Amino acid sequence: MNVRVRFFAQFGELLGTDIIAEPSSGVALDSLIKEIASKNKEGYDAIFDEHGSFREFVIIMRNGKRLDMADAKKARIADGDEIAVFPPVAGG
Amino acid sequence: MFSQRELERYKRQIMLFGEGGQERLKKSTIVIAGAGGLGSPVALYLAAAGVGTIKIVDNDLVEQSNLNRQILHNDRDIGKKKVDSAAEKLQSINPDISVWAIHTTIDATNATSLVGNADGIVDAMDNFATRYLLNDVAITKKIPLFHGAIRGFYGQATTIIPKKSACLRCIFPKAPPPEVFPVIGVTPGVIGAVQATEVIKYLLNIGGLLTNRLFIWDGMQASAEEIHVERDPHCEACGTKKEMKRKRT
Repeated sequence: MNVRVRFFAQFGELLGTDIIAEPSSGVALDSLIKEIASKNKEGYDAIFDEHGSFREFVIIMRNGKRLDMADAKKARIADGDEIAVFPPVAGG
Repeated sequence: MFSQRELERYKRQIMLFGEGGQERLKKSTIVIAGAGGLGSPVALYLAAAGVGTIKIVDNDLVEQSNLNRQILHNDRDIGKKKVDSAAEKLQSINPDISVWAIHTTIDATNATSLVGNADGIVDAMDNFATRYLLNDVAITKKIPLFHGAIRGFYGQATTIIPKKSACLRCIFPKAPPPEVFPVIGVTPGVIGAVQATEVIKYLLNIGGLLTNRLFIWDGMQASAEEIHVERDPHCEACGTKKEMKRKRT
């Protein structure tokens, strides 16, 4: 199946902004993001903490709807999903 | 009533929304929280558009390292209070408006009184702690908050109409860690212009606002998009117990 993963702001700078992944059926959302993010340690560390959990400020959207952290952990990817991962930016 | 000078000044925008609209702008009060990268373009455009009263709040002095992006200030202003430097420029751009320069740190003890009876709050801050505070004040007073934030070539903006659209905490429940953020001046230019546009449309009750939408600008890719967001009934800032109960039942 095909899934589109988009990283924004500094996540995109570190991991690429638009990635088409072909995960196996039923893969967990956090596993997919971890697999993609593992290609760049700085990118991985920006998104995940030392326990491998999403950092609490990270925003995960699935098909335009925000997932809270508990849902993001247990969510399963479906064919055609579009996942957006971004940090709030704080500068002014 | 407008003077001949005002009618001449606003001629091209009166073509858009009439003297009635211009009168609404003149009677409006907007609080701009921050006189830095975002506050600069927001204040300049609102002053030029004729928003009658602009309260600009900041606790900083102008530093050399501000000048790549904080276009209200120039080299001669280094060491001045940012709000004084801002007020001077805004009054020279438009002497027919009132500018209040408020040199203070926005905190829980003064945020409500600083906002007063304003028609809207522009979030031009550089930290989420103060943003959450402004969000709370906006909700309590039921006035809109025009959010903007930037980092590098990247920026975001949304408009919050309390109790009607997603608030800042609905969208960003947790603040990112503080950092000295990199930035190029054009990014707050883009986002500040979006925020000022939102303020003007809101005051005039025209167009479609950025409510329940997070506008995202990636200057590096020259790409703009929006993400749909919605109110969180469990939001600690704007969710009500009644709504939470309704959600559960």
